[in-house]
Amino acid sequence: MRLALVASLALAPLCSAASAEPIAILHARAWTMTAAAPIEDATILVDAGRIVSVVPAAAAPPGARVIDAGGRTVTPGLVDSATQLGLIEVSSAAATRDQSSEAHGIGAGFDIRSALNPNSALVALARADGVTGALSYPQSSEEAPFAGEAALLKLRAGDDIVDHGGAAVVVMIGGNKWPKDAGSRAAQWQMLRRALGKAADGGHAAGGHDHDHGRGDDGPPPGSDEAALGAVRAGRIPLAIFTDRESDIREAIRLAGDFAVPVVIMGGGEAWRAADALAAAHIPVVLDPQANMPSSFDALGNRLDAAAILQRAGVTIAFGMAGGPIEESYNSGLDLREGAGLAVANGLPYAEALRAITVNPHRLWGGGAGTLAAGEAADLVIWDGDPLEPSTNAAMVLIDGAPVPTDNRQRALEQRYLPLADPR
Amino acid sequence: MTTRIARRLAALLGASMLAVSLPAAPPRVVAPWRVDPFPSTYRPLPRTDFLLTDAAILDGAGHRLDHGEILVRDGKIVQIAAQLPHPAGIRVIDAQGRWVTPGIIDVHTHNGTFVVPLTDIDKDSSDVSELDNPNVADTWIETAINVQDTGFSRALEGGVTTMQVLPGSSPIFGGRSVIVHPIAATHVAAMKVPGAPQGFKMACGENPKSQDADAHDIHGPTSRQGEIAFIREAFMAAQDYRDAWDRFAAGKAAAPPKRDLKLEALAGILAGDIRVNMHCYRSDDMATMLEVAHEFDFTIGSFHHAAEAYKIPALLRQAGTCAAVWGDWWGFKMEALDGVRANAALLDRAGVCVTMHSDSAITGQRLAIEAAKAGGAARALGIEVPPERMIRWVTSNPARVLGMADRIGTLAPGYDADLVIWSASPFSIYARADLVVIDGAVAYARAAPPPHSSSDFELGRIGAPRP
Repeated sequence: MRLALVASLALAPLCSAASAEPIAILHARAWTMTAAAPIEDATILVDAGRIVSVVPAAAAPPGARVIDAGGRTVTPGLVDSATQLGLIEVSSAAATRDQSSEAHGIGAGFDIRSALNPNSALVALARADGVTGALSYPQSSEEAPFAGEAALLKLRAGDDIVDHGGAAVVVMIGGNKWPKDAGSRAAQWQMLRRALGKAADGGHAAGGHDHDHGRGDDGPPPGSDEAALGAVRAGRIPLAIFTDRESDIREAIRLAGDFAVPVVIMGGGEAWRAADALAAAHIPVVLDPQANMPSSFDALGNRLDAAAILQRAGVTIAFGMAGGPIEESYNSGLDLREGAGLAVANGLPYAEALRAITVNPHRLWGGGAGTLAAGEAADLVIWDGDPLEPSTNAAMVLIDGAPVPTDNRQRALEQRYLPLADPR
Repeated sequence: MTTRIARRLAALLGASMLAVSLPAAPPRVVAPWRVDPFPSTYRPLPRTDFLLTDAAILDGAGHRLDHGEILVRDGKIVQIAAQLPHPAGIRVIDAQGRWVTPGIIDVHTHNGTFVVPLTDIDKDSSDVSELDNPNVADTWIETAINVQDTGFSRALEGGVTTMQVLPGSSPIFGGRSVIVHPIAATHVAAMKVPGAPQGFKMACGENPKSQDADAHDIHGPTSRQGEIAFIREAFMAAQDYRDAWDRFAAGKAAAPPKRDLKLEALAGILAGDIRVNMHCYRSDDMATMLEVAHEFDFTIGSFHHAAEAYKIPALLRQAGTCAAVWGDWWGFKMEALDGVRANAALLDRAGVCVTMHSDSAITGQRLAIEAAKAGGAARALGIEVPPERMIRWVTSNPARVLGMADRIGTLAPGYDADLVIWSASPFSIYARADLVVIDGAVAYARAAPPPHSSSDFELGRIGAPRP
């Protein structure tokens, strides 16, 4: 039986979804994220796609494939909480952009899953940079102030990168965000409140954490805006509100209370000014950790220690959209790490920065725990240095317990032209 | 009006009168492109001589000195060695083992013209580029700089001591750049580096042709071949104009040519007095422009963005043209598809002058990190770039791009005392600039930020507390 499995593996594409053989990673400096510090000289045992154990200085069990980490750092796979991976290939080429709907009547329920492209060069690069999960979010729809439903990606090699759809209903609110459809941000909030008020509890979003595609009862039809908002009203998925200004942050807090719905603040340039209120309302914030300029009149308060301030106040933080539109999807892994490191340089404890790109995103979007706890999906990265240093590379990336390819277009180009760079 | 012209001409000619009818003693003719109509009023900040001790020095010239001392007097570096005599009474700055590098130099910013928060006025009529014509060689970007851009102080806090502000890439001939120190001022003249060579912006590829194709009434080339033809036509006219000035200067013509601000700028390029900063991405675009430069016998100082420069290292090396590149930007438009992170490292290995550049006030705060990204990508290819070499990408090489390699970008006797003390390796994300010195004066000290480290825009608004 074992022989047969091996033979079939050899014929299978380079990386199948789950490794058949157990893997033992020896001599790792393992950030399990279940403790405040890493385990030194850890042995990480992986089988059937899942973490079996992480213990110090254990021998590899017989039959396991051994990977010697040589003291290098291992973390859970990174999760970027705001990208447009799979939705956008070349921003200047409209035919390669799928992040916005211009269809009337599709708003909160605009479901991007069918547009996600697993063969995107951006996805391969993100995977090579140690990103194993990412929230991919829609940008806009014809139904202000809704952008649609975000999906949580799991960047497996192969043809399926969707962990689940309906990870959040995305809302955009702020100055001039909807010039044609709403105008004043007051109108944007009213439209949101009106839509939530009309939505009955219990509808189903496109996916939801449980991959439930609708109950088939009298509720709104699956995939409709009403279904998406019903899922929000039922507390099954959060409203992810992209907004920056303090007044809007506080309005979001009020809305979360009035409708008893889960809310995540996205961007939140001035969220630090409402840190205590956000903590009290259990509203997490996804930050662009590089934002420190008054990029708009909504975000005059952008500052590099925002993550530290929010975390100290007890707000759950995650990172995303690092580096803005030019970077957030094109270098989602590298700039996510750069941003997390920058937050550390500005007062965020190191372990909290790691949590913001591993554990916390899963608390927001579901899809696992983001730890190396026994029983969790074995999505992990072996780094050739400190993962929060931009000069560090992912030496090996495992998804569902098997190494995934880290080749990508950039690496191929570099290899092709490397001979030209021979010193004279 | 007539008097003004006469006065200006007299100034240009370096003579007290237009005595061109006396061939026996021809006046010394100063070509008009050599006259700066917007002179610097910069004065160094208050300073005292000092001795920097216990520094881990990357000198920008390729050397590393783990425990060194630097003597600074009158804004210049006097001596640098493992141990120096301590002059009596001199102020001692103890680096306590921290890294010390030359000040960071950013050759590509739009500070002062791409000022956040952007508003409708920036959408409708941005100051980044003049769009009246694909040839706006007559513009000087310093006449647009809003010194209250928060980008200046953020850059200073990131260790930048000199930056070039360039016009945008929508026109083909974008106009003069300006080289500044990012210090507080009420007019850019007080930031302008005195004696810096003039820089100029040109662009090829997608941006200029798209700009003209998108314009309501097309007024310029809409294709790459059209751009190149446009450039050659313009330089042919500039050759004639330069020759006319040469004839006048040699006393072979009775009168100087009529002043023409566009032709003056291009003639200055042909004369080697104005340095070309050329926005190009693709290898074929760069190779074509090198041919044009060869045809008209001028040097392109640097290609900016240069996403595919790693494909043509030999061409760049032979031309003596530097490449100013990003650490990781790629893919956002067609001509950027082949951008790779190892670009800088591959070029450096091939012997090409390479420098990191920002093009963004966010990226510009961490230019050494851009270098570190390229270094990391190179390590994955089996190429190790030591820090004393990598630091050149953000110090002495950009100084060369600006034509100031003999004055800034290196810690050596005689150089301007522009330096940074870092809290950690400058290539670490955890590093912060603890002390930034420009011309021997402390321009920024993290422990005690100087007055005016916030821009006027930030005053009375929310944000991180700033003095």
